[in-house]
Amino acid sequence: MSTPAPAPTAASGSKWSSFFDLGSGRGLILVVLFLGVVLTIFSGTVRAPLFERAADGTRHRVFTVNAQGERTPAFTERNKFLNAQNLAQLAKDTSFIAIMAVGMAVVIISGGIDLSVGSIYALASVLGALVLHRYGPQGDAAAALGPGTAIFVGALVCIGAGALSGLFNGGLTVVLGVHPFIITLGAMAILRGIAFVTTKGQSVGNFPQLFRDIVRWEIGDGLSVVPLLVMLLVLIVGWIFLSRLAAGRRVYAIGGNEVAARFSGIRIERVKLGVYVISGLTAGIAALLSLGYYGAASSGDGQGYELNVIAAAVVGGASLTGGRGTALGVVLGALVIQMISSGILILGIDQNYSQIIIGSVVIAAVVLDNFNNWLARRRLTAKSS
Amino acid sequence: MKRLLLLTACALSAFAVTAFSAERKISIGLVAKSQGNPVFQAARVGAEDAARELGKKHNVSISIDWRTPNEEDAQKQAEAIEQLVLAGAEGIAVSCSDANKITDAINSAVDNGVPVACFDSDAPNSKRFVIYGVDDFDCGKQVIDELAKVMGGKGIIAILAGNQNAPNLQRRVQGVKEGAKKYPGITIRDTYYHKETPQDAAAKVEQVMQSNPDINGWAMIGGWALFTDNALKWQPGTVSCVSVDALPVSLPYLRDGHVAVLLGQRSYEWGYRSVEHLINKIVLKKNPASVKDVSPLMKVTKENVDEYAKNWNKWLGKS
Repeated sequence: MSTPAPAPTAASGSKWSSFFDLGSGRGLILVVLFLGVVLTIFSGTVRAPLFERAADGTRHRVFTVNAQGERTPAFTERNKFLNAQNLAQLAKDTSFIAIMAVGMAVVIISGGIDLSVGSIYALASVLGALVLHRYGPQGDAAAALGPGTAIFVGALVCIGAGALSGLFNGGLTVVLGVHPFIITLGAMAILRGIAFVTTKGQSVGNFPQLFRDIVRWEIGDGLSVVPLLVMLLVLIVGWIFLSRLAAGRRVYAIGGNEVAARFSGIRIERVKLGVYVISGLTAGIAALLSLGYYGAASSGDGQGYELNVIAAAVVGGASLTGGRGTALGVVLGALVIQMISSGILILGIDQNYSQIIIGSVVIAAVVLDNFNNWLARRRLTAKSS
Repeated sequence: MKRLLLLTACALSAFAVTAFSAERKISIGLVAKSQGNPVFQAARVGAEDAARELGKKHNVSISIDWRTPNEEDAQKQAEAIEQLVLAGAEGIAVSCSDANKITDAINSAVDNGVPVACFDSDAPNSKRFVIYGVDDFDCGKQVIDELAKVMGGKGIIAILAGNQNAPNLQRRVQGVKEGAKKYPGITIRDTYYHKETPQDAAAKVEQVMQSNPDINGWAMIGGWALFTDNALKWQPGTVSCVSVDALPVSLPYLRDGHVAVLLGQRSYEWGYRSVEHLINKIVLKKNPASVKDVSPLMKVTKENVDEYAKNWNKWLGKS
């Protein structure tokens, strides 16, 4: 699926060239395009209701009036896959997992793993939700803060809770010297438990309307683009961190060969601590987006998301043995999985088979990736000889 | 020329006949809580049966678009509702894992002209036009009433409660606790939550009994533990048990005396009635008499278990 991705060097090419030189993402972009073409051709058409925007910006159904004066709603025929609404929906559904996958990629590149991202997502969601509810229209401190300040505090708590949870994971991994699989497995239960005890199992909603309006802001014919924009922002920051900053280069170095990295003077513990904070931070960002978009949180949120996030990272070319992976690759990995998931629905395939199909894709991606690596090694050997 | 006109007229008439006799196609989305739960598979069969029968009755072609998450996930349900609207569904039936989280998606569907019916678990603050299912609070009260009857109004009981986040289960637990106030001889030791899989539920019952051997009654507000065939390790008659849900796999517990009463939810009808309500609204432009369409529980005991078991052949699409 992807070619081996040695750490991009800061010296190579112009400032932006390595971003557009897609490297490990090239194969995935071809897969995305292929899936797009297949879904466009085979999805057929759908009768969608017609809307228009009034002068005040609100959307209204379009009606036709017949000779008898009866109003009937107007419809338009469009391709089931290739239409703006569906593509915006696809981007939105991808964004939550893709944002977390960028954080997970950093952890995986360092040779670690974070099984607690689903629980961090839940804990950050409920803590942010409790703050936003308290200062929301039905909260007991509704008048205490203006909506802007309330949103700021809520966002800070949500993202901060994610980062602190990551610090907890990284701290224990470094201090105890225990494999991150064990630490984050334990944290998965602990953090979800805290989320449950904090909310007593209740769903928390009723946030300031301004917060909902910001995250659900639409352009054109009802296209929610904020999750997509945040995903792109996280992708760019992730790319800059991994390929343009010395801190990112150290992550590759540790994942490639920890002993060599230590002897070259890299402070391993500090880097390891940092990667788990980044993973927690991205889970907090995804949680904040989810709060704004869906308007509620409960301690049951995000169950099983760790597997989706790891699958996106693996399909996107991150190597579980460390030292390899890119931010762009994992976002494309998340997109491929979401396209297949949506494709199953669009093509009308019985949903009972969805797990089998998606699981097979993950395995196929890894097998193809290994095959690709083998070919690359062969080419390299042939060149050097 | 005459011949040409005649041929054209024939072709046009044939086209008109075909066009007018063509059935209208209606797609109904069905979003249950999780794929693995057999009660939702029965709901799916009910919905498909309703689609077939009502399609014939109203001369329309109705298809059921099943979009249920693999495991309980309200966010995935909200995404499924949004995708169904984009895919051209004319109506949606949903059992909500987290009402707060799904309300916006339901409202958005309704604003896009797609009516939404809830079944089993409601989203009371949404624009859904009907909810079909049990009254969860009354369900909890009925469980404790039946259990108290079996135990002669005295004993120590435990509540097996499933997912602590599900609002409908929380209401059932409230119903059990409220109903238990009528029976001063009954003490509730605790409410025990667990992951909603048969194995996790059975393991929870076993753990609780080992650490609390004096418990002599179980109020199970969902039948998860009884979906395994060896969940209750005690001798029949030593511990009383009343459970919601009466699936085929649970019925042997009634026959061998481990369980006194099963209160069956009409899970097949969750699908059937939801589609019926939606077709009434879409085709006949008819709303239900009330937003709440309460389905009573079916009491199953050793005496009527064989008669009741025959229903499942239909509900699981075997006959």
